[in-house]
Amino acid sequence: MEKSIENIWKEGFLKSDALVAPKINNLYTKKSIHIIDKFKRMFRINLIAIVAFSFIFLVVSFFIGIPLTGVILFITLSVLVVINKKLLNGLESINKSVSSYEYLKTFNEWIKKQVAVNKKISTFLYPVIFASIILGFWFEKTEGTPLKERLISEIIIGFPDTYLIYGIPLIAIIILFLILGLLAFFGGRIYMWDVNIIYGRVFRKLEELMADIESLRS
Amino acid sequence: MSTDFYNISILPFSGIIIKLCRAYTNSQEDFEDYYQEVCLQIWRSKENFREESQWSTWVYRISLNVCLTLLKKKKNNIQHFVSDSVMDEETENNYAFSDESLNLLYDAIRKLSEIDRAIIMLYLEEKPYKEIADIIGTNPNNIGVRVKRIKNRLKEILDGKIN
Repeated sequence: MEKSIENIWKEGFLKSDALVAPKINNLYTKKSIHIIDKFKRMFRINLIAIVAFSFIFLVVSFFIGIPLTGVILFITLSVLVVINKKLLNGLESINKSVSSYEYLKTFNEWIKKQVAVNKKISTFLYPVIFASIILGFWFEKTEGTPLKERLISEIIIGFPDTYLIYGIPLIAIIILFLILGLLAFFGGRIYMWDVNIIYGRVFRKLEELMADIESLRS
Repeated sequence: MSTDFYNISILPFSGIIIKLCRAYTNSQEDFEDYYQEVCLQIWRSKENFREESQWSTWVYRISLNVCLTLLKKKKNNIQHFVSDSVMDEETENNYAFSDESLNLLYDAIRKLSEIDRAIIMLYLEEKPYKEIADIIGTNPNNIGVRVKRIKNRLKEILDGKIN
Protein backbone atom coordinates (compact mmCIF):
# COMPACT_ATOMS: atom_id res chain seq x y z
CA MET A 1 0.00 0.00 0.00
CA GLU A 2 1.31 3.49 -0.89
CA LYS A 3 2.10 5.88 1.92
CA SER A 4 0.23 9.18 2.03
CA ILE A 5 2.31 12.32 1.56
CA GLU A 6 1.33 13.34 5.10
CA ASN A 7 2.86 10.13 6.48
CA ILE A 8 6.01 10.47 4.39
CA TRP A 9 6.41 13.98 5.78
CA LYS A 10 5.81 13.04 9.40
CA GLU A 11 7.92 9.88 9.38
CA GLY A 12 10.73 11.49 7.39
CA PHE A 13 11.19 14.28 9.89
CA LEU A 14 11.17 11.90 12.88
CA LYS A 15 14.71 10.88 11.93
CA SER A 16 17.32 12.80 13.89
CA ASP A 17 19.35 14.00 10.89
CA ALA A 18 16.41 15.59 9.10
CA LEU A 19 16.47 19.00 10.76
CA VAL A 20 20.06 19.83 11.57
CA ALA A 21 20.59 23.58 11.24
CA PRO A 22 23.66 24.53 9.21
CA LYS A 23 26.46 26.29 11.05
CA ILE A 24 26.31 30.02 10.51
CA ASN A 25 29.35 32.25 10.65
CA ASN A 26 29.59 36.03 10.88
CA LEU A 27 25.95 36.39 10.03
CA TYR A 28 25.74 40.01 11.14
CA THR A 29 28.56 41.10 8.89
CA LYS A 30 27.49 38.91 5.98
CA LYS A 31 26.49 40.82 2.84
CA SER A 32 22.83 40.20 2.16
CA ILE A 33 21.99 38.37 -1.07
CA HIS A 34 18.33 39.39 -0.97
CA ILE A 35 17.02 41.28 -3.97
CA ILE A 36 15.66 44.21 -1.91
CA ASP A 37 19.01 44.67 -0.19
CA LYS A 38 20.75 44.47 -3.55
CA PHE A 39 18.47 47.20 -4.88
CA LYS A 40 19.20 49.32 -1.81
CA ARG A 41 22.95 48.91 -2.24
CA MET A 42 22.72 49.67 -5.95
CA PHE A 43 20.62 52.80 -5.32
CA ARG A 44 22.97 54.09 -2.59
CA ILE A 45 26.08 53.54 -4.71
CA ASN A 46 24.45 55.22 -7.73
CA LEU A 47 23.29 58.23 -5.72
CA ILE A 48 26.70 58.72 -4.09
CA ALA A 49 28.38 58.45 -7.51
CA ILE A 50 25.98 61.00 -9.06
CA VAL A 51 26.45 63.48 -6.19
CA ALA A 52 30.25 63.12 -6.36
CA PHE A 53 30.33 63.48 -10.14
CA SER A 54 28.03 66.53 -10.23
CA PHE A 55 30.13 68.33 -7.57
CA ILE A 56 33.45 67.55 -9.23
CA PHE A 57 32.14 68.49 -12.68
CA LEU A 58 30.68 71.75 -11.34
CA VAL A 59 34.10 72.81 -10.05
CA VAL A 60 35.94 71.59 -13.17
CA SER A 61 33.45 73.34 -15.49
CA PHE A 62 34.47 76.75 -14.08
CA PHE A 63 38.13 75.99 -14.71
CA ILE A 64 37.64 74.82 -18.30
CA GLY A 65 35.35 77.72 -19.16
CA ILE A 66 32.00 75.94 -19.52
CA PRO A 67 30.31 76.94 -16.21
CA LEU A 68 26.86 76.89 -17.82
CA THR A 69 27.23 73.17 -18.56
CA GLY A 70 28.41 72.54 -15.00
CA VAL A 71 25.55 74.49 -13.42
CA ILE A 72 22.82 72.92 -15.60
CA LEU A 73 24.20 69.42 -15.01
CA PHE A 74 24.50 70.07 -11.28
CA ILE A 75 20.87 71.21 -11.01
CA THR A 76 19.57 68.36 -13.21
CA LEU A 77 21.51 65.67 -11.35
CA SER A 78 20.48 67.14 -7.99
CA VAL A 79 16.82 66.74 -9.00
CA LEU A 80 17.60 63.18 -10.09
CA VAL A 81 19.21 62.43 -6.71
CA VAL A 82 16.29 63.90 -4.72
CA ILE A 83 13.72 61.88 -6.72
CA ASN A 84 15.69 58.63 -6.40
CA LYS A 85 16.33 59.21 -2.68
CA LYS A 86 12.55 59.33 -2.24
CA LEU A 87 12.26 56.07 -4.19
CA LEU A 88 14.92 54.53 -1.96
CA ASN A 89 12.91 55.53 1.13
CA GLY A 90 9.95 53.61 -0.30
CA LEU A 91 12.15 50.54 -0.65
CA GLU A 92 13.32 50.85 2.96
CA SER A 93 9.73 50.67 4.19
CA ILE A 94 8.88 47.33 2.54
CA ASN A 95 7.91 44.95 5.33
CA LYS A 96 8.91 41.30 4.89
CA SER A 97 6.72 40.09 7.75
CA VAL A 98 3.34 40.76 6.11
CA SER A 99 1.46 38.25 3.95
CA SER A 100 3.22 37.11 0.76
CA TYR A 101 0.59 38.84 -1.37
CA GLU A 102 0.99 42.17 0.43
CA TYR A 103 4.78 41.88 0.38
CA LEU A 104 5.02 40.96 -3.31
CA LYS A 105 2.43 43.60 -4.23
CA THR A 106 4.31 46.36 -2.38
CA PHE A 107 7.61 45.29 -3.92
CA ASN A 108 6.10 44.98 -7.40
CA GLU A 109 4.50 48.42 -7.10
CA TRP A 110 7.81 49.89 -5.99
CA ILE A 111 9.61 48.36 -8.96
CA LYS A 112 6.96 49.61 -11.40
CA LYS A 113 7.07 53.09 -9.88
CA GLN A 114 10.85 53.34 -9.97
CA VAL A 115 10.97 52.08 -13.58
CA ALA A 116 8.23 54.52 -14.66
CA VAL A 117 9.85 57.47 -12.88
CA ASN A 118 13.35 56.74 -14.20
CA LYS A 119 12.02 56.12 -17.70
CA LYS A 120 10.40 59.54 -17.62
CA ILE A 121 13.60 61.10 -16.23
CA SER A 122 15.66 59.45 -19.00
CA THR A 123 13.37 61.09 -21.58
CA PHE A 124 14.48 64.48 -20.27
CA LEU A 125 17.94 63.66 -18.95
CA TYR A 126 19.74 62.90 -22.23
CA PRO A 127 18.41 66.00 -24.07
CA VAL A 128 19.25 68.20 -21.06
CA ILE A 129 22.80 66.83 -20.89
CA PHE A 130 23.23 67.40 -24.63
CA ALA A 131 21.72 70.89 -24.48
CA SER A 132 23.89 71.83 -21.49
CA ILE A 133 27.05 70.77 -23.35
CA ILE A 134 26.03 72.79 -26.44
CA LEU A 135 25.15 75.84 -24.35
CA GLY A 136 28.34 75.56 -22.34
CA PHE A 137 30.55 75.56 -25.43
CA TRP A 138 28.33 78.15 -27.18
CA PHE A 139 29.14 80.72 -24.54
CA GLU A 140 32.69 79.50 -23.91
CA LYS A 141 35.15 82.35 -24.35
CA THR A 142 38.54 81.92 -25.97
CA GLU A 143 40.73 85.03 -25.93
CA GLY A 144 37.70 87.09 -24.79
CA THR A 145 35.42 86.17 -27.70
CA PRO A 146 32.55 83.70 -27.17
CA LEU A 147 32.61 80.64 -29.46
CA LYS A 148 29.18 81.58 -30.85
CA GLU A 149 30.48 84.89 -32.27
CA ARG A 150 33.54 83.29 -33.81
CA LEU A 151 31.47 80.45 -35.28
CA ILE A 152 28.72 82.66 -36.71
CA SER A 153 31.15 85.13 -38.27
CA GLU A 154 32.97 82.24 -39.97
CA ILE A 155 29.66 80.82 -41.27
CA ILE A 156 28.55 84.18 -42.61
CA ILE A 157 31.87 84.66 -44.37
CA GLY A 158 31.79 81.13 -45.83
CA PHE A 159 28.05 80.99 -46.58
CA PRO A 160 26.74 84.58 -46.94
CA ASP A 161 23.23 83.37 -47.88
CA THR A 162 22.73 81.50 -44.59
CA TYR A 163 19.33 82.28 -43.06
CA LEU A 164 19.74 83.40 -39.44
CA ILE A 165 17.22 83.45 -36.59
CA TYR A 166 18.35 85.62 -33.66
CA GLY A 167 21.84 85.37 -35.13
CA ILE A 168 21.83 81.56 -35.27
CA PRO A 169 21.79 79.66 -38.58
CA LEU A 170 18.40 78.04 -39.17
CA ILE A 171 19.98 74.77 -40.26
CA ALA A 172 21.86 74.57 -36.92
CA ILE A 173 18.61 75.12 -35.02
CA ILE A 174 16.88 72.37 -37.02
CA ILE A 175 19.74 69.89 -36.44
CA LEU A 176 19.84 70.77 -32.75
CA PHE A 177 16.11 70.17 -32.26
CA LEU A 178 16.31 66.98 -34.30
CA ILE A 179 19.04 65.61 -32.03
CA LEU A 180 17.13 66.73 -28.90
CA GLY A 181 13.99 65.00 -30.21
CA LEU A 182 15.86 61.78 -30.96
CA LEU A 183 17.50 61.79 -27.53
CA ALA A 184 14.10 62.35 -25.87
CA PHE A 185 12.53 59.60 -27.98
CA PHE A 186 15.26 57.04 -27.33
CA GLY A 187 16.14 58.09 -23.76
CA GLY A 188 13.27 56.18 -22.14
CA ARG A 189 13.72 53.26 -24.50
CA ILE A 190 17.43 52.98 -23.76
CA TYR A 191 16.63 52.93 -20.04
CA MET A 192 13.97 50.21 -20.48
CA TRP A 193 16.29 48.15 -22.64
CA ASP A 194 19.01 48.40 -19.99
CA VAL A 195 16.62 47.50 -17.16
CA ASN A 196 15.17 44.55 -19.05
CA ILE A 197 18.59 43.06 -19.70
CA ILE A 198 19.51 43.17 -16.02
CA TYR A 199 16.18 42.63 -14.26
CA GLY A 200 13.77 41.40 -16.94
CA ARG A 201 13.61 37.88 -15.61
CA VAL A 202 13.11 39.10 -12.04
CA PHE A 203 10.24 41.34 -13.13
CA ARG A 204 8.57 38.53 -15.04
CA LYS A 205 8.95 36.18 -12.08
CA LEU A 206 7.33 38.72 -9.76
CA GLU A 207 4.43 39.05 -12.18
CA GLU A 208 4.03 35.25 -12.25
CA LEU A 209 4.02 35.02 -8.46
CA MET A 210 1.46 37.82 -8.26
CA ALA A 211 -0.73 36.20 -10.92
CA ASP A 212 -0.65 32.87 -9.06
CA ILE A 213 -1.75 34.48 -5.79
CA GLU A 214 -4.35 36.63 -7.59
CA SER A 215 -5.90 33.44 -8.99
CA LEU A 216 -6.26 32.18 -5.43
CA ARG A 217 -7.90 35.42 -4.31
CA SER A 218 -10.58 35.47 -6.97
CA MET B 1 23.87 39.29 14.99
CA SER B 2 23.56 38.69 18.67
CA THR B 3 24.29 35.03 19.38
CA ASP B 4 21.58 35.13 22.06
CA PHE B 5 18.95 36.26 19.56
CA TYR B 6 19.86 33.42 17.22
CA ASN B 7 19.93 30.80 19.97
CA ILE B 8 16.76 31.95 21.70
CA SER B 9 14.54 33.27 18.93
CA ILE B 10 15.63 31.52 15.74
CA LEU B 11 17.24 28.17 16.56
CA PRO B 12 14.12 26.70 18.25
CA PHE B 13 12.22 27.46 15.02
CA SER B 14 15.01 26.44 12.67
CA GLY B 15 12.97 23.39 11.62
CA ILE B 16 10.48 25.67 9.85
CA ILE B 17 13.26 27.52 8.07
CA ILE B 18 15.12 24.34 7.10
CA LYS B 19 11.99 22.68 5.66
CA LEU B 20 11.11 25.77 3.65
CA CYS B 21 14.63 26.52 2.39
CA ARG B 22 15.02 22.91 1.24
CA ALA B 23 11.89 23.29 -0.92
CA TYR B 24 13.28 26.35 -2.70
CA THR B 25 16.86 25.18 -3.24
CA ASN B 26 18.47 22.28 -5.00
CA SER B 27 21.95 22.10 -3.54
CA GLN B 28 23.53 22.13 -0.11
CA GLU B 29 25.40 25.34 -0.91
CA ASP B 30 22.23 27.19 -1.93
CA PHE B 31 20.39 25.77 1.06
CA GLU B 32 23.02 27.12 3.48
CA ASP B 33 22.98 30.53 1.74
CA TYR B 34 19.21 30.67 2.00
CA TYR B 35 19.18 29.56 5.60
CA GLN B 36 21.69 32.27 6.53
CA GLU B 37 19.81 34.93 4.58
CA VAL B 38 16.48 34.03 6.18
CA CYS B 39 18.07 34.21 9.65
CA LEU B 40 19.60 37.58 8.78
CA GLN B 41 16.28 38.96 7.54
CA ILE B 42 14.44 37.68 10.64
CA TRP B 43 16.96 39.47 12.81
CA ARG B 44 16.69 42.67 10.77
CA SER B 45 12.87 42.58 10.82
CA LYS B 46 12.47 41.75 14.50
CA GLU B 47 11.26 45.28 15.31
CA ASN B 48 8.21 44.63 13.10
CA PHE B 49 6.98 41.77 15.28
CA ARG B 50 3.77 43.01 16.91
CA GLU B 51 2.71 39.90 18.85
CA GLU B 52 -0.51 39.82 16.83
CA SER B 53 0.52 36.40 15.61
CA GLN B 54 2.62 33.61 17.05
CA TRP B 55 6.37 33.98 16.67
CA SER B 56 6.47 30.73 14.65
CA THR B 57 3.89 32.09 12.17
CA TRP B 58 5.83 35.33 11.89
CA VAL B 59 9.06 33.40 11.27
CA TYR B 60 7.25 31.39 8.60
CA ARG B 61 6.06 34.56 6.85
CA ILE B 62 9.52 36.10 6.68
CA SER B 63 11.12 32.80 5.64
CA LEU B 64 8.60 32.33 2.85
CA ASN B 65 8.78 35.92 1.61
CA VAL B 66 12.57 35.87 1.61
CA CYS B 67 12.68 32.51 -0.23
CA LEU B 68 10.22 33.74 -2.85
CA THR B 69 12.35 36.75 -3.74
CA LEU B 70 15.91 35.60 -3.22
CA LEU B 71 18.35 35.82 -6.05
CA LYS B 72 20.77 33.10 -6.86
CA LYS B 73 23.85 33.52 -9.00
CA LYS B 74 24.10 30.78 -11.56
CA LYS B 75 27.45 29.58 -12.78
CA ASN B 76 27.19 31.85 -15.81
CA ASN B 77 26.84 34.78 -13.35
CA ILE B 78 23.29 35.64 -14.39
CA GLN B 79 20.98 36.24 -11.49
CA HIS B 80 17.79 34.23 -11.21
CA PHE B 81 15.20 33.46 -8.64
CA VAL B 82 16.44 30.11 -7.38
CA SER B 83 13.05 28.47 -7.62
CA ASP B 84 13.06 29.29 -11.30
CA SER B 85 16.35 27.60 -11.91
CA VAL B 86 15.39 24.52 -9.90
CA MET B 87 13.14 23.51 -12.74
CA ASP B 88 15.82 23.89 -15.37
CA GLU B 89 18.89 22.46 -13.73
CA GLU B 90 20.02 18.99 -12.92
CA THR B 91 19.71 18.77 -9.18
CA GLU B 92 23.10 18.63 -7.55
CA ASN B 93 22.19 17.33 -4.13
CA ASN B 94 18.57 16.53 -3.59
CA TYR B 95 19.32 13.79 -1.14
CA ALA B 96 19.61 15.92 1.94
CA PHE B 97 17.79 13.47 4.20
CA SER B 98 18.54 9.87 5.09
CA ASP B 99 14.88 9.01 4.52
CA GLU B 100 14.55 8.08 0.84
CA SER B 101 10.80 8.74 0.71
CA LEU B 102 11.25 12.23 2.12
CA ASN B 103 13.89 12.99 -0.51
CA LEU B 104 11.51 11.86 -3.25
CA LEU B 105 8.70 13.93 -1.77
CA TYR B 106 10.96 17.01 -1.75
CA ASP B 107 11.91 16.34 -5.37
CA ALA B 108 8.23 16.28 -6.23
CA ILE B 109 7.50 19.46 -4.24
CA ARG B 110 10.29 21.28 -6.11
CA LYS B 111 8.46 20.56 -9.36
CA LEU B 112 5.47 22.65 -8.19
CA SER B 113 5.05 26.38 -8.69
CA GLU B 114 6.53 28.59 -5.95
CA ILE B 115 3.16 29.42 -4.42
CA ASP B 116 1.98 25.79 -4.54
CA ARG B 117 5.17 24.81 -2.75
CA ALA B 118 4.39 27.29 0.02
CA ILE B 119 0.80 26.04 0.32
CA ILE B 120 1.69 22.35 0.51
CA MET B 121 4.49 23.02 3.02
CA LEU B 122 2.06 24.88 5.27
CA TYR B 123 -0.52 22.13 4.83
CA LEU B 124 2.02 19.42 5.72
CA GLU B 125 2.91 21.46 8.80
CA GLU B 126 -0.76 21.02 9.74
CA LYS B 127 -1.61 24.71 9.58
CA PRO B 128 -5.35 25.33 9.27
CA TYR B 129 -6.58 26.71 5.92
CA LYS B 130 -7.34 30.07 7.53
CA GLU B 131 -3.74 30.44 8.69
CA ILE B 132 -2.38 29.32 5.30
CA ALA B 133 -4.60 31.94 3.66
CA ASP B 134 -3.36 34.60 6.12
CA ILE B 135 0.30 33.78 5.46
CA ILE B 136 -0.11 33.73 1.67
CA GLY B 137 -2.60 36.62 1.71
CA THR B 138 -5.48 34.96 -0.04
CA ASN B 139 -8.97 33.58 0.34
CA PRO B 140 -9.30 30.57 2.75
CA ASN B 141 -12.11 29.05 0.64
CA ASN B 142 -9.77 28.51 -2.28
CA ILE B 143 -6.97 26.97 -0.24
CA GLY B 144 -8.81 23.65 0.29
CA VAL B 145 -9.40 23.26 -3.44
CA ARG B 146 -5.79 24.13 -4.25
CA VAL B 147 -4.44 21.71 -1.59
CA LYS B 148 -6.48 18.88 -3.12
CA ARG B 149 -5.14 19.74 -6.57
CA ILE B 150 -1.54 19.90 -5.34
CA LYS B 151 -1.86 16.55 -3.56
CA ASN B 152 -3.14 14.95 -6.75
CA ARG B 153 -0.24 16.45 -8.67
CA LEU B 154 2.26 15.14 -6.09
CA LYS B 155 0.66 11.69 -6.27
CA GLU B 156 1.04 11.75 -10.04
CA ILE B 157 4.71 12.70 -9.77
CA LEU B 158 5.39 10.12 -7.06
CA ASP B 159 3.29 7.41 -8.70
CA GLY B 160 4.95 4.07 -8.06
CA LYS B 161 8.13 5.58 -6.63
CA ILE B 162 7.22 5.16 -2.98
CA ASN B 163 5.79 2.06 -1.35
